[in-house]
Amino acid sequence: MVVRQYQEELKYLEKINEYCWRIKKGFQPNMNVEGVFYVNHTLERLMFEELRNACRPGAVGGFLPGMKQIANVAALPGIVWRSIGLPDVHSGYGFAIGNMAAFDMDDPKSIVSPGGVGFDINCGVRLLRTNLFESDVLPIKEQLAQSMFDHIPVGVGSKGIIPMNARDLEEALEMGMDWSLREGYIWAEDKEHCEEYGRMLNADPSKVSMRAKKRGLPQLGTLGAGNHYAEIQVVDEIYDKWAACKMGIEEKGQICVMIHSGSRGFGHQVATDALVQMEKAMKRDNIETNDRQLACAHIKSQEGQDYLKAMAAAANFAWVNRSSMTFLTRQAFAKQFNSSPDDLDMHVIYDVSHNIAKIEEHMVDGKQKTLLVHRKGSTRAFPPHHPLIPVDYQLTGQPVLIGGTMGTCSYVLTGTEQGMKETFGSTCHGAGRALSRAKSRRNLDYKQVLEKLEELGISIRVASPKLVMEEAPESYKNVTDVVNTCHAAGISKKCIKLRPIAVIKG
Amino acid sequence: MFERKLKALGYMEWDKVNGNNTQHFRKVILWLEDQKIRHYKIEDRKQLRNITSPEWPNVFEKYCNDVKCPITKNEAGQLEWFIGYAIWLEFGDDCKKYQQIVGSKAKVKNEVKIPNIKSTNPLDNLDFDNDAFTTGVNSIAKLLKVPKHSDHLVTLQACSKLVCNKLNADAIKQSNNVVSVKGKPLTAMTIVPSFNMGDIMLDNAAKGLSLLYIQDLRNLQTKINETIVAVQNITANPKTDTKLGKVGK
Repeated sequence: MVVRQYQEELKYLEKINEYCWRIKKGFQPNMNVEGVFYVNHTLERLMFEELRNACRPGAVGGFLPGMKQIANVAALPGIVWRSIGLPDVHSGYGFAIGNMAAFDMDDPKSIVSPGGVGFDINCGVRLLRTNLFESDVLPIKEQLAQSMFDHIPVGVGSKGIIPMNARDLEEALEMGMDWSLREGYIWAEDKEHCEEYGRMLNADPSKVSMRAKKRGLPQLGTLGAGNHYAEIQVVDEIYDKWAACKMGIEEKGQICVMIHSGSRGFGHQVATDALVQMEKAMKRDNIETNDRQLACAHIKSQEGQDYLKAMAAAANFAWVNRSSMTFLTRQAFAKQFNSSPDDLDMHVIYDVSHNIAKIEEHMVDGKQKTLLVHRKGSTRAFPPHHPLIPVDYQLTGQPVLIGGTMGTCSYVLTGTEQGMKETFGSTCHGAGRALSRAKSRRNLDYKQVLEKLEELGISIRVASPKLVMEEAPESYKNVTDVVNTCHAAGISKKCIKLRPIAVIKG
Repeated sequence: MFERKLKALGYMEWDKVNGNNTQHFRKVILWLEDQKIRHYKIEDRKQLRNITSPEWPNVFEKYCNDVKCPITKNEAGQLEWFIGYAIWLEFGDDCKKYQQIVGSKAKVKNEVKIPNIKSTNPLDNLDFDNDAFTTGVNSIAKLLKVPKHSDHLVTLQACSKLVCNKLNADAIKQSNNVVSVKGKPLTAMTIVPSFNMGDIMLDNAAKGLSLLYIQDLRNLQTKINETIVAVQNITANPKTDTKLGKVGK
């Protein structure tokens, strides 16, 4: 990293408009394209503070500041258009979380990087609707939360209650949600309302290590730990009545269930295995990057292809995982309300992935190009009439599910034409960390965090209460700031706001 | 027996050939090879030419093999095949010329064919461009509130679509059952976003097309879902086992 004074660094940054900054070439060495990031006033302050802290003499350790990471990604071979930071951007392994970067598939030098996808491959959010209202749920809220907690195992080292053997896993890795459909865990309509129809077709389980499969097998149908959660939420605000209607959300007070989870230990192992391979490939093919954490390989190389196939298998794992939890949630609700999930109208509104790399067609400088789009902590947000979104959302644009932090609200946005042009149909994914996990543990007390949730009337079931301060709202950027910035910048459009009444987490 | 074919091929004594006469048979075969089939080079036809030789049947057998005649026993059948083969080659040499030729009888037949069909469907005999017909179509359209197209046949098509989709037995039954549908009707044209081509008429046309396309897509997706459900009826067997569950730390 180039060491410069903070004032010097600022010369490379330029405000394009009220919600968007440009990172000029030279901010980091060898930048092929410019970087941009979207912020409002509050988020802007956080970003610049982070940069200033990193410029202080003697600042060592930890990740590079988000802006530097965006610029380092802009220096990767084969990148097109811009390296884009979404409003919730914060430092991660190599790539910042909340970073979108696209690479030209026709350029032999283009790369694929596991750091650009993240360790929790196909981490994502699924939203189920119901025909229940807050008044139906409040009297039995505690029982319902307990019932969900009983059905969905949570926490580090949890094991699922859907019996699976090694052969089932192999099939699930290849088939994704088609496996869940075949076995009867989900409904045909669930597949329709899922990104990629719940199955990456290029998945190849033979490219996945035994170790990953061993870790993954018992974990299917479990929520996991960290920022993952299942929440019972209430529709708090409807901004776009017509689009909400298309999603089956008619009125304020309607009950929804949000599931935020990923590929558990399986995806983590796939990413770890790939990083080892990529380091070798980089040496062999002389790929140079600004940061060792940006390990990558040419897309067309054996390592690149193997990673894409293994990543697809991990993506399928995550979809099966969320599908299994959908099944368990429906069971929990059906039991509590003595009714069938069908009668409760528990349809999947949508299912998004916010840690994934996909091959997509986009317009670059007026020309249609095939790109490998990395979205790490960034959600796909395709506009109306896009062929890859479900027929029910052809007129509204793709629903974008933004999970908030524990105890704060969540949002549903829709994709826009402007977002398609500016960010290749990408938007934010959540609140985005403001404090590191360690810092949260030092500064906050878990009892206070739990009490505060109780005051807000939110039931909570948690496997390890002593870790909840890591996920406390204070540890995160304000999700409303993040969403408002996306809306104001025009890269997606606000549709529904949801507020939690019960949370279960690891 | 083969008179007409031989005449067509230009065989001089076409009317005198007797298929059962060995000499006649050999002569015709030789002539066909010499004039039409020409499978062997001229110098190689020597043995075949010697039609009085006792060796001839052997020579002929070899010849049959060489031209891949599938018939081995019956001489008349063999002769028929060779003549047919010669005609096939002749036609292939100049197929463009022969294709245009239509038999005089066939010609007459074709001409007679069209006006001769007696339709049992009275609609087929209607004059679709008749003024009375046009007025009729327009008054049906008015009844059904279908907008008029400058071509009355297009209007008729639209009317037929409406009747088939909305006025069939099932649809009528349904409309009686559902008394009131919740929600407000929205004008389609106000809600379809993102067409801005600088011409309102063009935008509206694009909106209309995209709505029709979405309807087609929805029908397709519904059929796909129905198929999945049908398969699920055979394969589905969801299980849970709470003994396996374990809550983590």
